[in-house]
Amino acid sequence: MTVGSELFKIADLAVEFDTYGGVVQAVRGISFSVSKGQTLAIVGESGCGKSVSVQSMMGLIPIPPGRITSGSALLKGHEILGRSVIRGKEIRGSEIGMIFQDPMTSLNPTMTIGDQIAEPLQVHRGYSYREAFREAIKLLDMTKIPEAAKRAKQYPFEFSGGMLQRAMIAMAISCKPSILIADEPTTALDVTIQAQILDLMQDLQKETEMAIILITHDLGVVARMADEVAVMYAGKIVEHGTVEDVFYRSAHPYTLGLRAAMPTNDPEKQSVLEPIQGSPPDLFSPPPGCGYCARCPWSMSICESQHPEDYYLNEGHYTRCWMHHRESPLKPAELYFE
Amino acid sequence: MFLYTLKRLFQGLVTVWFIATATFFAMHNVPGDPLLNDRAVSEAIRANLESKYGLDQPLSTQYFIYLRNLSTGDFGISFTQENREVNDIIREHFPVSAILGILAVVFAATGGILFGALTAIYRNRLPDFIIMILVILGISVPSFVIAAMSQLALVSLNDLVGTTILPVAGWGTILHMLTPALVLGLGTMAYLTRLMRSSMLEVVGSDYIRTARSKGVPAPRIFTKHQIRNAILPVVTVLGPSIASITTGGFVVELVFAIPGLGRYFVQAVQQLDYTVIMGTTVFYGAFLVFMVILVDVLYGFIDPRVRLEK
Amino acid sequence: MSVLTPADFERIQYHQKTQNISRPSLSYWSDAWIRLKGNKRTLFSLYLIVGLLAFTILGPVFWNVDPAFQDLDQVSQAPGTSRLAIIVNDYEAWNGESDISIDALRLVDRATTMAVRLKWDTLPNASGYRVYRNIFPVGPEQAYGIPLVEYFDNTVLFFEDRLDLKPRRYYYSVVPMDDRGNLLDGYQSIAVDPIRVTTLDEARSKGLLTNESTLQAGDSINLSLHPLGTDYLGRDMLARLMEGARVSLFIGIGAPSLFILFGIFYGSVAGFIGGRVDQILMRFADFVVALPFLLFMILFKIAFGIGPGESGIFPMLVALVVLMWPATARLVRGQILQIREHGYIGASQLLGAKTNYLIFRHMLPNTLGVVLVTITFAIPSAIFIEAFLSFVGMGVAPPTPSWGSMSNEGIKNMLTSPHELILPAILISVTVLAFNLLGDGLRDALDARLRNQE
Repeated sequence: MTVGSELFKIADLAVEFDTYGGVVQAVRGISFSVSKGQTLAIVGESGCGKSVSVQSMMGLIPIPPGRITSGSALLKGHEILGRSVIRGKEIRGSEIGMIFQDPMTSLNPTMTIGDQIAEPLQVHRGYSYREAFREAIKLLDMTKIPEAAKRAKQYPFEFSGGMLQRAMIAMAISCKPSILIADEPTTALDVTIQAQILDLMQDLQKETEMAIILITHDLGVVARMADEVAVMYAGKIVEHGTVEDVFYRSAHPYTLGLRAAMPTNDPEKQSVLEPIQGSPPDLFSPPPGCGYCARCPWSMSICESQHPEDYYLNEGHYTRCWMHHRESPLKPAELYFE
Repeated sequence: MFLYTLKRLFQGLVTVWFIATATFFAMHNVPGDPLLNDRAVSEAIRANLESKYGLDQPLSTQYFIYLRNLSTGDFGISFTQENREVNDIIREHFPVSAILGILAVVFAATGGILFGALTAIYRNRLPDFIIMILVILGISVPSFVIAAMSQLALVSLNDLVGTTILPVAGWGTILHMLTPALVLGLGTMAYLTRLMRSSMLEVVGSDYIRTARSKGVPAPRIFTKHQIRNAILPVVTVLGPSIASITTGGFVVELVFAIPGLGRYFVQAVQQLDYTVIMGTTVFYGAFLVFMVILVDVLYGFIDPRVRLEK
Repeated sequence: MSVLTPADFERIQYHQKTQNISRPSLSYWSDAWIRLKGNKRTLFSLYLIVGLLAFTILGPVFWNVDPAFQDLDQVSQAPGTSRLAIIVNDYEAWNGESDISIDALRLVDRATTMAVRLKWDTLPNASGYRVYRNIFPVGPEQAYGIPLVEYFDNTVLFFEDRLDLKPRRYYYSVVPMDDRGNLLDGYQSIAVDPIRVTTLDEARSKGLLTNESTLQAGDSINLSLHPLGTDYLGRDMLARLMEGARVSLFIGIGAPSLFILFGIFYGSVAGFIGGRVDQILMRFADFVVALPFLLFMILFKIAFGIGPGESGIFPMLVALVVLMWPATARLVRGQILQIREHGYIGASQLLGAKTNYLIFRHMLPNTLGVVLVTITFAIPSAIFIEAFLSFVGMGVAPPTPSWGSMSNEGIKNMLTSPHELILPAILISVTVLAFNLLGDGLRDALDARLRNQE
């Protein structure tokens, strides 16, 4: 990955929420980037901050109680975070499209599908309603919805979940954005539909060369879609690299734990799935050291008190684990033997 | 949709029958002879009425006579005002109540929707606080107090200016209608404001508004195209019952402002124990309200595509 | 970064499998209670309600005055007005004599609440006079007020007013009449401020003076105390408001408790049995909802009848219960149907729970929150309806005071003594406000827990 091709770059993003019980540090300084035509997957368990991170940079978290405490987001070299996220008005929907987890609730129940797809075109491209609607039908066609002209006049409740997700995609790509953010796009769908949606996204990516940021907790989806992976845990990225690096040369105990918890179809390796013991730390008062420390089988005393820094294993593949410190008596190779 | 309307109309008829029956038996439970009043009814009228309503016959026969008369739209003749048909009384006084009611409903609905949306958008900021304090007052202060207070205010306003800007009481011109309608609609307006506020807050936090924002739709357009239309739905559903409470609640306002409406007439009839008028107005009001609710429900179908297409 | 030593890299054991959850685990109700306490408005409303209950229950202990007693010396007395009265000698008849020269309408002697004596000079063209009294200046529209006397004799030039005088400003007018009794122009008017007086005998009979008292005519004396003034019949407002509070709160709390109990029963039967029974029961509830509420309140009230001497509280209670139960029934039924679908009911059944256990362990406790909120909102609406009906004259029968009937009486004297309307109106409003705020707070507290928000 070369620096010059970076389309979108997030650096040191941190997000907090004021809640009834105190301040939740949902995202604690994450950085990543995507390039044209590439797919970055952000993986992690529920509540690790993966959705919040993309929604905050899109200006979609309610402020207050939410708050972006630090960070920058450069799109084609221009800062889009900053003063107020509302600068995203020209960005959102036109430069960055977004699709959400639950298509059933994410579409306006009292507006026709066609109108909703046409809306970004009217807003960003200055299309008349008629033009925009005609374009919406084309987009529905593109996302392989049969009888698009008829379907465009229907309401969300007349669609199935998979169809709705297609319509969502049509809406997100209506202005030909350079980035598509997909926030758990298949979680709410049947497995067979999931594959279709993923295929559709890949096809569209090939056609338009857009970058995709895919948020998911499904490693299967990651393997199928992603070029690069960022593994998030407790509001931080603990490992980042290409799919091959992260899957086959996992450098962080958490990534390993995730892999061990994933079923495999290789009969030789088939064994009992190993869950990761325990639960993630309470982000009301995150631990001073590594967030995974309490669940990690290799934890050391330093892990409790200090955050590890980024350790680069090769270009683009880094992890945050004390084990990679040169003083560490534990060697990463031991990860595979214990 | 057509079938749905038809079904609702049929249900409405059954409800009206129930109201009529309840009215009949409630009135027949009133102690004393309806014809033995302070104002003695002459023997001839008495015999006439007895035969017409079958008062000398068993209750069941009376009930069927009553239902038969009702089905032909005959509410009978007033007991206290000779030769005055209940139908005439309704025809004369109901339009006044209806105009007052409609004006009040319009006030209440527009005010409620507008203020409710405003408070939701300015949540926890000054406009929200001011409107919500007014709303709490509107809900807590009884309508007759507001009516009396507004009369006092009008008196001093007119005194201050030296001429009658708005009349304090009576009926006739649009100026006469403004204050009573506002007073009458105030409680409902407060109620609708609260409803609209919570509905709006729910919509504001919903997934599809997030989607709209992710599309880069500007806030004013989100407000008009996405939020209002969805938030208004629960408000529309309670509009039917609101019309009911406004029209029946109207008689306090009619009393205070000396408006010759049906409500005031009803109170008078109750005080004079004018049986036919009481029964007639009750059944008429009941039927009116039932069909208003149906009307609102059917109209609701046109706003909400889910209802329109399913029923 | 500081230099790291090998000690930093010492392995540690799984010292804990999980982090301690920093928030304590709370039960449904204790959590709701914490939220409730945290809400200032709700807390405020709770204080208000406690205050109101104290006013109603303990009030008469501290202010033990008969609410029906009429203090005719102090009628329609606003709170805080001076209670001073001057002791005078017993009344003596007056024949129009005076030692002052009369050139126009004049006051003779001191104007007192016992008598106002007027004299005037002959008016041009008058063949008779009519004397009026008003509480406002006559003004350009020549509103003279109430006629007090008519003389078809232009030689009678004096009048003594003893009609229900209050210590306030009056405007007396003498208007000339022609021989047929038509009013002529050229009236004369005078403003008079009678002072409050009482005789020794009166004061003694009211217990304001002991027999040993040495007070004499010309001394002043305090009349009996009415902290919130009196109404148009001279009855003590504070005592009446307390009595009215008992009536209003009895109806306001009694009726909702009854119809909610019935509603819970009806709704849970419908929800639990379901099917055909449910349909029939709920259709009947729909019918009752469709009845024009206020008209039927009135109808039922007259149908139940109020005998002479009865207060009408009981018919009102019954009418409220008969008409208001369906809302609760619907709500409870909806809740029961919802809860039935929940996984934990199925789980409980799988574990062998009996129907009774399901109802009492799972269903009713889970409807309790909603029901509680309904009660708090039903109370203000019942109070409102009571006030409304009493205001229209269809509620509690006089002389039983309720806040509504007091407002009804008060509105008649609204212009002259607004406190008679404002005081009961404030109490109604404050009560309704308090219960509404409490309801809001309760709903927020329970709802937040249900939705797991914030």
